Amino acid sequence: MSQKMEHQPIPLRERAHEIFATAKSVAGKAEAEIILVSRIDEYLRFGNNELAQSQYSTSRNLSVRIASDKKQGRVTTGTLDKASIERTVEKALRQARDSPEDPDYLPMPGSQKYRSVNRYSEKTVEAPAELKAGYIRSAIDLAKKNHLLASGVLGTSVEQVMMLNTSGLEASYQGSGGYFSLTMDADNGNQTGYSLSTFGDIGELDPSKVSQTALERAKLNKNQAEIAPGKFDIVVDPYAWSEMLLFFAVSASTGYSPDLGMRQYKEGRSYLSGRLGEKILGDNVSIDDDVYHPSQAGPPFDGEGCQKSKVTLIENGVFQNVVSSRISQHRYGAASTGHELPLPNPLGELPTNLVIRGKGATKTPEELIGELDKGLLITRFWYVRETEPRTKTVTGMTRDGTFLVENGEIKRPVKNMRFNQSLLELFNKVDAVSEPVRNFSEFQQFRILQPGILARDFNFTSVSPF
Amino acid sequence: MTVSNHDSVISTKDLGEELAKISLDLAKRDNASYAELRLVNTRSEAISVVNENPASEEASTIGVGIRVLYKDLGWGFADTDELEHDSIRETTKKALALARGASKLGIKVNRASEPVHVDKWATPVKKDPFRVPTETKYELLQDTTKRMKENDVVARRGQMTFDFIEKYFANSEGSKIFQTLSYAGVSAIVAAKGPTGVQRRSVQQNTGGGYELVDEMDLPGQALEITKDVLALTHAPTINEGKSDIILSGDQVALQVHESCGHPIELDRVLGYEANFAGRSFLQPDQLGKLQYGSEHVNIVMDATLDHGNGLGTFGYDDEGVKAQRKFAVKNGKFVGYLMSRETAPRVGESRSNGCMRAEYYKLPIIRMTNVSLEPGDWDYDDMIEDTRDGYLMVTNYGWSIDQKRYNFQFNTEKGYRIKNGSIGEMVRGPTYAGITPEFWNSCDAIANKKSWVLWGTPNCGKGQPGQTMITGHGASPSRFRNIRVFGAS
Repeated sequence: MSQKMEHQPIPLRERAHEIFATAKSVAGKAEAEIILVSRIDEYLRFGNNELAQSQYSTSRNLSVRIASDKKQGRVTTGTLDKASIERTVEKALRQARDSPEDPDYLPMPGSQKYRSVNRYSEKTVEAPAELKAGYIRSAIDLAKKNHLLASGVLGTSVEQVMMLNTSGLEASYQGSGGYFSLTMDADNGNQTGYSLSTFGDIGELDPSKVSQTALERAKLNKNQAEIAPGKFDIVVDPYAWSEMLLFFAVSASTGYSPDLGMRQYKEGRSYLSGRLGEKILGDNVSIDDDVYHPSQAGPPFDGEGCQKSKVTLIENGVFQNVVSSRISQHRYGAASTGHELPLPNPLGELPTNLVIRGKGATKTPEELIGELDKGLLITRFWYVRETEPRTKTVTGMTRDGTFLVENGEIKRPVKNMRFNQSLLELFNKVDAVSEPVRNFSEFQQFRILQPGILARDFNFTSVSPF
Repeated sequence: MTVSNHDSVISTKDLGEELAKISLDLAKRDNASYAELRLVNTRSEAISVVNENPASEEASTIGVGIRVLYKDLGWGFADTDELEHDSIRETTKKALALARGASKLGIKVNRASEPVHVDKWATPVKKDPFRVPTETKYELLQDTTKRMKENDVVARRGQMTFDFIEKYFANSEGSKIFQTLSYAGVSAIVAAKGPTGVQRRSVQQNTGGGYELVDEMDLPGQALEITKDVLALTHAPTINEGKSDIILSGDQVALQVHESCGHPIELDRVLGYEANFAGRSFLQPDQLGKLQYGSEHVNIVMDATLDHGNGLGTFGYDDEGVKAQRKFAVKNGKFVGYLMSRETAPRVGESRSNGCMRAEYYKLPIIRMTNVSLEPGDWDYDDMIEDTRDGYLMVTNYGWSIDQKRYNFQFNTEKGYRIKNGSIGEMVRGPTYAGITPEFWNSCDAIANKKSWVLWGTPNCGKGQPGQTMITGHGASPSRFRNIRVFGAS
């Protein structure tokens, strides 16, 4: 089975226009916006050397925003017959009528121009389940041969989006992608190795490299030594830390709301409020929000259909910009960068396509290890949570392979450790950086391109029994 | 009373019966050894106010999830939101094709037996939230956030959510179950900036039921209290690192149970099916009935029955048609039971699943917590405080983290108080405690009684690949733990 079935390519444009015509006729004089999303996902999940869960999922989702007299309401539905669409718009009309005025309400934006992005891979869409099952079979065979258990998932997704509004806006996007995540372990998880690869085009996936990396790490990660916690220089594998970097852009202190938007910044909700222009990270660290980066994913427009701009948030350690939107433009006079979430959105703007750049980022992760005199190689961080917002201190664990490195060589595995570490301090102590890769986390919808790093004085505070 | 799906023009039960017949007949004809269908019709509403900005969203979804087992060797799952007969046939065929493929890489599946159930069940609801006017909901949230408005307060947020789910389940063994499930969630968060940085205080509760939760929570009343707290926290001292006795508030104990007991008793983790993401477990089958998980005071149940309370883990039947049950996970401190599915129960010698397979219709059901609760003890809460010579009271979670086998944990809380000679004293900010799970639960020497016991809700439990979010319940009362590692969040 492939994802190119009778639905593919989904004639979404025509369907969206039909739906929009119905929505407009029910909405009357009110402003109306529709977002129609169609997805096909295929996941082959395996565990314990068995293909345990095979899943094929299709969905269509219509979201309708109605605005009138500075009041707005949003209603979504998965049922797309004419009567259901009419009921959905009627509900949105009622909701708008019964809501208080939104002090930030703006008329819907009109027709926009978009920079094109090419994120639809026929190869990914057409990849048969048998091909993907073959990759998994190879991983399982390799694990069995080495007396290990393979578990993980190989998933591919196809997404199409159409957005229309009564001011004449029309935006569309189609993209595909996937990931192969693999753990090989033994002895009830006391011996583990992990590997991950993401792709837009499944032709980019090297499944044997994923399997070999997990295998090599699992074979090395045996009979771990217990070392005393403390400060260590570390090399972080580029695929090890997407969950940690989420907290650079989101704060628990305000209920997991985003930090790097203009509204949060100006209202004082961001942990970085008042610090624009300050040098907050090291000279060799820069961070962009750049949906156009060739390794990035997602549509080039925001939640109200405005074109996204590339924004340099941090340049050589200096906090230079936050992302903004039409609301911020109206409130503060700052130009919109196209980073609104679907409206109504009281949380503020969100950078969704972070790219972490490092000066001299031409090294491979292996070369970073080679530059580490004495310290630890981290192949995966786990369960990272914020403990203190001002310093962006986070806690979390290592898992699936933490290795002592001496004179640029991996010497022995060590037991997993807990850390409590300020992200701001960490980014001030980066010595070397590798090329960024597209990461993936089950916990978040952020798309972060992140490098491997060599950093000093990472603060480990306790040790796990395994 | 029960809630009705006011906007629905179809009967979920009638449609479910019609579609199940098509799907199950087809699966049988194609030699599936087992098949099941769930038709799930969901209506949700979320209303929030952040500072001065209102936001609301209503959502409705309806769809079918079909799971089939081929030759007892491989599972296949497919879902669709297109409910025409042809689409159901096509979706069943997709599930069958995946099951056939999986059977080539699978091992023999022995499923625990379950009686055939033809039944219906509904969450008790006192006040239908979808009949409360939107204006009324906004007025309450605006009143809540207005009361938080003070100098130094940087973020004010009030929110309520409601879900109404009609679920029809049928399987090839003859079970036909129709359930209506209703859940409500209410929360308020206030953040303030001061000399100690940004501090947060919040209140949150999620339960089964309806708008009665909003009435019970009195958000505007609690808004004043948490705002006073958060302003005090911006000037409060932190605590020094060391060992101390601690008393945790009931909501914090609930999360501790979720992370350090609820997850490690999930049998799919133990068997390695979550090794790549959620992780494994330190609780191994050979420790059943032997491991002293906690002190003799610690009794933890897995209870999905209504007798336990109207929680996020309360239902009539799980998503593979197993009736809700009450079982012990930990009895008098001893580890005695897992959360199990029909497929995994025989792997530890059990003859029946305890009914905890749960998922949205478009996700494959996996083992999830029901209501995993710490049973009340016999201490009066005030006596527990009075009995504590030197320690800290820690209230409401801020951050949580635990290793993949659920040993090494660290939790920080929003606020705390020094306890000296049996009295609550100075407020402290960000008190944090950390430990190793069995050592921690074995240090528990006092659990407050039924008067202080609340069935709390966790609305965002993550597990599975692709990621699944589930709602779980956790009853708990304030509890005391001796000689625990403590420190300040910063």
